[in-house]
Amino acid sequence: MRVADLLQKSEDRFLNAEEIGVLRDFVAGMPLRLQIYKKLRDRELPILQAVADQVERDLPSAAVEDVKKAISSLMLVLRYCAMALLMNSDEAFLKQRILRWLEQVSTAYNLRRINEVIFRHLNQLLSQEFTPPELELLQPLVTTAQVTLIY
Amino acid sequence: MSKINVADLISDRPVLANFFDYEAYLRGDLELGLLENRRGDRIVAIPETLIKALYQGLSKETGQAARLVMINCGKWWGKSFYNRFQQSLQEFYGIPLSEMDMLTFVRSLKEYWITHGWGKLEFDPEYRDRGLIIIRTYNSPYSRPLPGEPRPSCFLETGILSAFFSRLAGRELMAVQTTCESLGADCNRFILGIPERLKPVEDWVLSGMTHDAIVQKLVL
Repeated sequence: MRVADLLQKSEDRFLNAEEIGVLRDFVAGMPLRLQIYKKLRDRELPILQAVADQVERDLPSAAVEDVKKAISSLMLVLRYCAMALLMNSDEAFLKQRILRWLEQVSTAYNLRRINEVIFRHLNQLLSQEFTPPELELLQPLVTTAQVTLIY
Repeated sequence: MSKINVADLISDRPVLANFFDYEAYLRGDLELGLLENRRGDRIVAIPETLIKALYQGLSKETGQAARLVMINCGKWWGKSFYNRFQQSLQEFYGIPLSEMDMLTFVRSLKEYWITHGWGKLEFDPEYRDRGLIIIRTYNSPYSRPLPGEPRPSCFLETGILSAFFSRLAGRELMAVQTTCESLGADCNRFILGIPERLKPVEDWVLSGMTHDAIVQKLVL
């Protein structure tokens, strides 16, 4: 349950024990989510650059403009993943806020093959940069983006 | 040496997503009693019953002319809509509409439609090089039959699309609706093109010709 929904539900009453538990879990998880958020923010450029370099190596024939489009999309994906983490939002948030928008770029310019390579390298990099508890929170979001932009 | 420098990619122009994102687009100054979009333009939510009342009232007062009145209202609306739309995108993305890539334009138009509660819009450029554009809308609030008029009835949308695309193309274009949800179709289809060419389409629709047959006849 999202915290915002929770607070809305309690507009004319106090939260019950179970709901307080949800809120407590949200607060307890905040330091870790904030830590992932900061790491994503601070490591954005090196991660994206490493992915871009790999794509150029793996797909030397891909048009530079197409790779730029795909990398720009990836940048938005990571930023929205970071936002989703802070708000403890789920994959539905990503789909509605950003993936519907990016999916059309992927289809229109036929970026699927590039995205495939991009996400393969991204996942490798993330598993080097992030700890297992961090990945547990981050990976489902990234995977949702990957699935949407590849298939 | 890498051909793509991500730092340059960002510094050239910020990477921006969807201006019409529902969560970011709608806001309100409730103290003043105002609902606004993210630019501060006033937004008014109209209840479905108002649209119903508009159709019924106009039909009662003006009879057969109701359709034309609404198409004209739609045209006025479409002109202002175009101005706001292009100003919004120009401010947000920092490039004029004329330099914007087709995809960002079409995506924005679709998102505009969804966020304003007008349903889903699809832009079909298949016949663009033959001078026709096909637009499909789903779940339109404007699709309501007029009493005694078994014809496509998204009059406001017809007007909006005519004016919007005329502005965009810089020449007069006309929209004709060929299928309508109010007549049991899966969606509302509009053909856009120059008026001389689309003139007979309305009669073809009334005579029961299908959308596909009409398109084929036009592109022959």
